Amino acid sequence: MHVALRVTDLTKTFGRGKKYEVQAVRGVSFGVKNGEIVGLLGPNGAGKTTTIKCILGLMLPTRGQIEVMGYDFHRQYRQLVRSTSAVLEGSRNLYWRLSPRENLDFFTGLHGIPLALSRPYSEHLLRVFGLEVKKDAVVQELSSGMKQKVAVACALALRTPVVFLDEPTLGLDVETSYELRDILKRLAREEGRTLVMSSHDMDVIQDVCERVIIIKDGSIIVDDRVDNLLEVFRTRSYRFTLSNGPGLDWHFDLGKKFPGLTVIPQGESMILEVTLPRPSDLYAFMDALRDQGLIVEGIHQEEPDLEKAFLYLVRKGA
Amino acid sequence: MKEVLTVFRAVLVRQLTLYRRYLFNTLSGLVTMYIVFMLLMTGARAIGGTTFMNGDAPLQSLVVGYLVWVFAMVGYQELAWGITNEAQMGTLEKLYLTPIGFSWVQGLLQLSLLIMQLGLTGTLLMFIMLTTGVRLQVDLVSVLPIILVTILAAYGLGFLMAGLGLVYKRVQSAFQILQFSLIGFLAAPASWGRFLPLNLGNRMLASVMVDGNRLWQLPAADWAALVFVNVTYLALGFVAFRFFEGKARELGLLGHY
Ligand SMILES: Nc1ncnc2c1ncn2[C@@H]1O[C@H](COP(=O)(O)OP(=O)(O)O)[C@@H](O)[C@H]1O
Ligand SMILES: [Mg+2]
Repeated sequence: MHVALRVTDLTKTFGRGKKYEVQAVRGVSFGVKNGEIVGLLGPNGAGKTTTIKCILGLMLPTRGQIEVMGYDFHRQYRQLVRSTSAVLEGSRNLYWRLSPRENLDFFTGLHGIPLALSRPYSEHLLRVFGLEVKKDAVVQELSSGMKQKVAVACALALRTPVVFLDEPTLGLDVETSYELRDILKRLAREEGRTLVMSSHDMDVIQDVCERVIIIKDGSIIVDDRVDNLLEVFRTRSYRFTLSNGPGLDWHFDLGKKFPGLTVIPQGESMILEVTLPRPSDLYAFMDALRDQGLIVEGIHQEEPDLEKAFLYLVRKGA
Repeated sequence: MKEVLTVFRAVLVRQLTLYRRYLFNTLSGLVTMYIVFMLLMTGARAIGGTTFMNGDAPLQSLVVGYLVWVFAMVGYQELAWGITNEAQMGTLEKLYLTPIGFSWVQGLLQLSLLIMQLGLTGTLLMFIMLTTGVRLQVDLVSVLPIILVTILAAYGLGFLMAGLGLVYKRVQSAFQILQFSLIGFLAAPASWGRFLPLNLGNRMLASVMVDGNRLWQLPAADWAALVFVNVTYLALGFVAFRFFEGKARELGLLGHY
């Protein structure tokens, strides 16, 4: 089997009537191959959580087909659930009055895995996540970073082929976030699991995922490999150094014509960063600058990162 | 079947761990129950005078009624509050994401709680009997089946309120009211009260524990009514719960939104 997840025309509308209706997800379709690490990227309210919860049946989709590991959402829901695990609300998904180890035992047992089978791998996870010293303390007493790690461990401990992680690094300090990402990358690759991970933070997705699905207002606006996306934007991102600018009285709406334009004043001069998708845009932009009496000193092709690409795409979609 | 046992073990161990870790809470709950009963008894004596002296049937019936109420209340609370709490804490969704399904998880959880409750309430009963001098026939073969069937209605009410609480958050403040209305069910006259939760079961239990009747000495019609009424309440409550659960899914309320 090559396909771990197939979502077709997934739609979720909350509320009824024009006034109360919220179209959280609008006809989203995508597939995920076995062993792929996919990021759902989008600003807050884009519909990431709703998409994940619909796939898992925690929210009832208004429309659409869902298949996980070949199991149909409607006809084989039990098997679908058996092949998935999820971190949904971060550390809120845990019992705070139990220890990490007791949580692991509980959730694996709940999934029907006898202790004799779950324990060795749970111990392994406790080691990998650096939770060994705290494994018998109650979760309540752990730092928020550790709580989050326990929550992720509880999902991974089920050893399901597909794992959903909704904003797994939300609220973590930078160091813990990096640590968690590294562990996720390592485990996913070592064990060949399929990871679907959401975040509003492009940095996290760029770091962990091979492929990114960018969602905005409930629709997919980009679905591509992360390195492809970066490649495309490499040839489109420019950095203009101007020898004048701040002193001049310029009030053109370049920003509207060229979405994603960033202006950085630098004393007497000015730096403009901009994404120009087509070659003709480059000329149009140069013309626009000249019309304003701006003098271009140098042009650089920038090293792109996903953040720029993301901002560009999201603004363009507006 | 093996899976059911694994899940049962998981929920039982979780509950035992919590009871042990928060032993003080467990014990103080027991002590509270005891004190409430003693107050109840003192009040009953003040009102009823000599009929509530030691060893008299009314006092024995009071103990039996209290037992039924405690069992019912605990069952009701564990469902109504239990499910609501898990929704608020954020763990409810995880209970739904189980291959065995939420209904089974909840059923097994209630079963494990009931087993522990039998131990705790048994201890409470022992203390009451020792300190008040009330003597009751504790013929487990007759007592347990009646209690088990009787509290099914309480579970039905628990399911109903849990379901309502998922969809209408404000209903949660009404949980307590229903909890005390259970007393009203107990006190209603037999003629029509037997169709209410707890009422008939309470009478049958008194017949066993006070009058010393055995399970098979109770009228078959009573048994039939007991099973029918309580299973009906449970079924209705469960159906209502499933309905509201579907609503909660549709509205995206199983989490905490
Ligand atoms: N249970 C709900 N009821 C009504 N609207 C909701 C509910 N859950 C989410 N929404 C709305 O749906 C949209 C998408 O939300 P969500 O999926 O949580 O976005 P994300 O996870 O990308 O931040 C938002 O506009 C949000 O307000
Ligand atoms: Mg979200």
